[in-house]
Amino acid sequence: MKNMQTSGSIVVIAEHFEGEIRPITYELVHFAETLQQFSPAPIKILVLDERAETLAKSLARTTGKDVLGLRAPQLAQYNGQVYTSILHEILRDHPPLYVCIGHSSRGSDYAPGLAMRLKAACITGVSALSVQEDMICFSRDVYGGKINADMVSNTETTVLTVQPGSYGPAPDRDLPKGNVCLKSMTVSPQTSTTLSTTPFQTSDLDFSAARVIVSAGRGIGEEENLELIRDLASVIPQSVVCGSRPVIDLGWLTYDRQIGVTGATVTPDLYLACGISGAAQHVSGMKGSGFIVAINTDPMAAIFNLSDICIVEDLKTFIPVLLEALSNKR
Amino acid sequence: MKILVCVKQVPESEAVVSIDKDAGWVDVHDTSVFRMNHFDECAVEAAVQIKEAFPGTTIHIISVGPERSEVVIRRAIGMGADHGTHMVTPGDGFVDPSTLAGWIASLSEASDADLILCGAMSEDLMQGQVGPLMAEYLSLPCATAVVQMTIMPVGEGVHVEREIEGGYREAVALQLPALLTIQTGINQPRYPSLSKLLRANKLKLNTLYVDAMEDSAPLQGVRRVTLPRKLREGVFLEGSASQKAEQLLTILSDRSFLTVL
Ligand SMILES: Cc1cc2nc3c(=O)[nH]c(=O)nc-3n(C[C@H](O)[C@H](O)[C@H](O)COP(=O)(O)OP(=O)(O)OC[C@H]3O[C@@H](n4cnc5c(N)ncnc54)[C@H](O)[C@@H]3O)c2cc1C
Ligand SMILES: Nc1ncnc2c1ncn2[C@@H]1O[C@H](COP(=O)(O)O)[C@@H](O)[C@H]1O
Repeated sequence: MKNMQTSGSIVVIAEHFEGEIRPITYELVHFAETLQQFSPAPIKILVLDERAETLAKSLARTTGKDVLGLRAPQLAQYNGQVYTSILHEILRDHPPLYVCIGHSSRGSDYAPGLAMRLKAACITGVSALSVQEDMICFSRDVYGGKINADMVSNTETTVLTVQPGSYGPAPDRDLPKGNVCLKSMTVSPQTSTTLSTTPFQTSDLDFSAARVIVSAGRGIGEEENLELIRDLASVIPQSVVCGSRPVIDLGWLTYDRQIGVTGATVTPDLYLACGISGAAQHVSGMKGSGFIVAINTDPMAAIFNLSDICIVEDLKTFIPVLLEALSNKR
Repeated sequence: MKILVCVKQVPESEAVVSIDKDAGWVDVHDTSVFRMNHFDECAVEAAVQIKEAFPGTTIHIISVGPERSEVVIRRAIGMGADHGTHMVTPGDGFVDPSTLAGWIASLSEASDADLILCGAMSEDLMQGQVGPLMAEYLSLPCATAVVQMTIMPVGEGVHVEREIEGGYREAVALQLPALLTIQTGINQPRYPSLSKLLRANKLKLNTLYVDAMEDSAPLQGVRRVTLPRKLREGVFLEGSASQKAEQLLTILSDRSFLTVL
C-alpha cells in the first residue's frame, strides 16, 4: 500500500465513459511524463469507478504506471460532489505536487472545487509547459486564443486541467506493467445526485464521405449569410456545410453539424473556416484537417495560427468575389 | 426565490488586443468594443425566465470590473433583473479566480441566494472556474455546462441537464440553494426592453471598491503573456479581394479541390 501514497507525486485522474478509458487519459499520462522532466516525481494514476478493477488493471498494463482504483457504489455514474469528496479524502493527507485532470466537461466540473479543498491553485485549459527562470509555466489560451498566458502556481499542490488534443497519447514503449491497488471508499449523502446519462441527439450525417467542410462561424452575422456559405459549398465537390457553436446555438444549422469539443471531430482534406475565431473548443474538432483555409476580418484571429492559407477579408464581400471569379473561369 | 447572476464584461472577439509588456498583461485598445460575456447573457435570460414563471422572484446582478463594466449590469437589469452590485476594480489586470470567487461569495446576496447562476466560461480568461469555486466557498451543490433546467416544486430543488462530450447529456438533481454554470444554446437571450433600460439607467447600483491589495496571496499568477505559436505555415494572401480570390482558386485547383478551366 505504501507505494500507492500520493505524497510528492504527479497524480493523473483517469477519465472513462461506459467502461472505456477515454483518450484524454493517455494524453494526461503523456503530459505528466513531460512535467516529470521538469519536476522529477513518480506518476500515479487514480481511477474512480463503481468497481474500478478492470479499468485499473487495463491502465496499469497500457501505461506501465502504478494505478490506484477507488471504488464506491455512488460511482456508477459521474457526480461532481462524489468525485470531489473521494479525491479530497485520498489526497489531503498525502499532498501530491500536481493533479492532472482532463479539461473535459467532467474534469472542468470538479477540478476547481477539488483544488480549493486541497488549498491548491487550479490552472485550467493548459496546452503546453515551459520553464522560465526555474519556474514551471503552464500555457493557456486567453482572449479566444489570440494571446497565450504563461501561468505559475504559488501553492504546494497544483491542480491542472489539460486541453484535450494538446498532447498526443504517450509514445508506445515496452513497459513492465504497473502495480494495481484497489480501495473501497464510503461517501456521505450529497446535495446533488446524477440521475442519468443519455445520448441527446443522434445523427446520420456521415462526414467520412465529405472531402471538404465549409464551416460558418458567428462572423457570418446573420442567418441570410448562410446562403453565401451554401453557395460556396455548392461549387466545391464532395463538400458539407458545418459551423461553430454559436451558429448551432442560434438554430441556423442543426446540432449534428457543430464542429468542436461538444460537437463532431472531423478531418476533411480541406476545412474552410469562414468567420470563425478559432477558440480551443472549436479547434479541437478540426485541427486534424488536411488543409485549412480561414477567412476572417481580424488579422489576429487565433484560427490563422493553424491555417495553411489566411485571408483577411469580410466574408460577405469576399465570397461573392470568389464565386464570381470561379464562374468566369468555368 | 432569490437569484444571483454573475456577469462579466469582455471585449468582442474581433477586438484589437496587444501585449502590454509593462503591465505583463493584455491591452485592449478600443474601449468601445466591450460587451456582456455571451455565456452570462444566457444566464441572465435563464434567471428572467424563472422570474416570469415564479412571480416574487428577485434577480440580483453582480459584476466585478473597472468603471466601464457598469453598463453590463444595467443591460442585465434592462433584460429583467431587479438590482445590481458593481465591485469596482482599479484596472483590468488578471485577478486570481479564487480571489475573485471569494469576493463575490462574501456578498450577502450570495449567501442569501437560492440560486446562483454563472456563465460556463468567460470569453477573455476562458477559465470556467469562478462558478465552481464560489460553490465551494459557499458549500453549494454545483453543476456546470447546464443546457436545460427545471425548478421543481418547493423542497425538490432544481433538475438540470449538463452537456458532456459525444452528444450526451447528464441529468442531475440539486438541492437548493445551488450554483449552476450556464452553457450557450440553453436559450436565446432577449434584448433589453426600452422601458426597463430607462429604469436601469436611473437605478442606483450598489458600488463597492476592491483594492488590488486585497489579492495579497494569490494562488496563481501570470508569468508572462506572448503571442501564440503558429502551428502551420499560415500564408497570408496579399492584394485586392479579387487578387486574393484568384490566388485562392489557383491553390484550391492545384490541390484538386476545385476544377477550373
Ligand atoms: C464547454 C464548452 C464547450 C464548447 N464547445 C464548442 C464546440 O463544440 N464548438 C465550437 O465551435 N465552440 C464551442 N464552444 C464555444 C467556443 O469557446 C467559442 O465561443 C466559439 O467556438 C466561438 O465561435 P465563433 O468563432 O463562430 O465566434 P466568435 O468567437 O464570436 O468569432 C467570430 C469571428 O468572426 C470574425 N468576423 C466577424 N465578422 C466577419 C466578417 N464579416 N467576415 C469575416 N470574419 C468575420 C471575427 O473577427 C471573429 O474572429 C464551447 C465552449 C465551452 C465553454
Ligand atoms: N469579473 C467578474 N464579474 C462577475 N462575474 C464573473 C467575473 N469573472 C467571472 N465571472 C463569472 O464566472 C463565469 C466563469 O468565468 P471564468 O472562470 O473566468 O471562465 C463567468 O461566465 C461569470 O459568470
